[in-house]
Amino acid sequence: MKTSIFTTSFQRGKPRLKAALVFGAIAFVIAFAAAVNTGIVGELLRPAMSEAVLVGLWGRFAVALVVGILCFGGCYGLLGLPHRVQSWSVWAGLALSALLLFYSFDLSYEFIERKLPFLLTQGAFTTIYVSAISIVLAFTFAMLGATAKLSGIAILEGVGAFYTSYFRGVPLLVQLFLIYLGLPQIGLVIDPVPAAIAALSLVYGAYMTEIFRSGIQSIPRGQWEAADALGLQRMVTFKKVILPQAMRVIVPPTGNQFISMLKDSSLVSVVGVWDIMFIARTQGRADFKILEMLITASIIYWLLSVVLEMVQHRIEAHYSKSVTR
Amino acid sequence: MRSIIKKTLICAGLMAAAISTSSQAGKTLDAVLADKMLVVGTNSDYRPNAFLGDRNELEGFDIDVSREVAKRLGVDVKFVTPGWEVMTAGRWQGRWHMVVGSMTPTTKRAEVLDFPATYYFIPAGVAVHKNSSAKSIADLNGKVFGVVSTSTYHRYLEHNLKIDAVGTPPFEYQIKPQEIRLYGDINEFDDLSLGEGVRLDAVIQSVSVINQAVSKGLPVKMLGDPVFYEPLAIAIDKGDAEFGKKVHAIIEDMKSDGTLVGLSRKWHGVDYVTVK
Repeated sequence: MKTSIFTTSFQRGKPRLKAALVFGAIAFVIAFAAAVNTGIVGELLRPAMSEAVLVGLWGRFAVALVVGILCFGGCYGLLGLPHRVQSWSVWAGLALSALLLFYSFDLSYEFIERKLPFLLTQGAFTTIYVSAISIVLAFTFAMLGATAKLSGIAILEGVGAFYTSYFRGVPLLVQLFLIYLGLPQIGLVIDPVPAAIAALSLVYGAYMTEIFRSGIQSIPRGQWEAADALGLQRMVTFKKVILPQAMRVIVPPTGNQFISMLKDSSLVSVVGVWDIMFIARTQGRADFKILEMLITASIIYWLLSVVLEMVQHRIEAHYSKSVTR
Repeated sequence: MRSIIKKTLICAGLMAAAISTSSQAGKTLDAVLADKMLVVGTNSDYRPNAFLGDRNELEGFDIDVSREVAKRLGVDVKFVTPGWEVMTAGRWQGRWHMVVGSMTPTTKRAEVLDFPATYYFIPAGVAVHKNSSAKSIADLNGKVFGVVSTSTYHRYLEHNLKIDAVGTPPFEYQIKPQEIRLYGDINEFDDLSLGEGVRLDAVIQSVSVINQAVSKGLPVKMLGDPVFYEPLAIAIDKGDAEFGKKVHAIIEDMKSDGTLVGLSRKWHGVDYVTVK
């Protein structure tokens, strides 16, 4: 049995009807407040009522009511489906609406098609390898940072505290410029890509240090004491007892950080790294078709983060074995 | 990762060596000739001067000029696109040897960069929406203008444009804008296309960019005559007069043998090299 807020799944009988009614009512209120009678939805109801009625208060009410009833019907139908099918079809429906919204912008698909291969081979490739290296490094920094902060050695705790405070406290963009433009002043001339990787991994390592630390500290003290009582050394306890349990708490927010980092890697385009964002902006600006490229870039980023989401889900499932019935 | 560390260490060593010998002239030239590689900083989205073409390589007037300069130096050429603010800030630390990026040698920029050779002149014009009610440039006083941040057009609107290069035609400030909106990543022409006064009333850009926008089907047009002519020069980092002399000589050769005019005709459609 899954843990969830409601004990019923609203899939049949009275709860199903009630849930559908609530969704319908919400749709009605939103439609009424947003005055959809003046938009595309109103146009669809044109055959049913005259222009004058349609724009009036009565028209607004009527159109909102139709929207509400449609939503009620749709939700009632959906609620009858099996749990998985239900959530997947809603996901697909929302994704489709987002794509339809983009479609309505009247974009030049011929242009996108012409520019897409390079956006993938150069842009997406760069984004992926910059992010991948940064993820590995950030993970390492976070591990070291958390270990330092929990070591009990005051010097290391000081180093860890400074690291998280500074790198969490300074915007990534500023950090990137400092590394790219500042280091050469002391004689360290580094290329844009290493500068980008350094900035991304240091900043995200700092965030993740805190995630790791809080995850490790969330394991009750009793676990440490029990291991002590069994005669285990502290390092062994940490590796074999505490960390496996802490991972369950650590993985979801870490997955968040990775997705966030993938998207923040777009900041590296400002120092001239040819990532997705750079190519999209450059191609778009040169041909005065920036919207085409931005939407294409947004979809590529989205697909990439979906992959990360799936990986996170797998890892989460692995570390949750101990608490699943 | 190893090689990065190695590179950084080597760079650090070179830097230390460079600092100690920085009084010697010719270190950029020496580096170019030793590596047989000229690294050129340029723009990536500035049609028709430097942009990513259909072959997904940089092309344009600036690119062809750079290739020609490299050819006459007898070295290969490589392009980097570090971003406008980074290029105009100077102190490149040898990351690239020169910038061929249609840069105007303003007095301010000459404080951090050297401009050994002016390679063409370009008129700056005012663009408005094609349905604009403005009949002349004078109608645009008190309107909202969009320009690229820290560009010469920006300085022009601020009435603070000082150009040092020899042979620059004189100009006067014809416009008093109500508001100047600055652009970097977003194209000012996209905002102008939304309609007259929606976000912008007018844009100042080089005439060749305005012509590009018109030919790409944007609903904009040029209004009146160009407001000023600006020289565009090759920029190099401070401290290598010998390299500057060499670049100057090459550009003068390219002017006298007609190569530059040919390239200007190819990319701009007209001769922007000869001073009128």
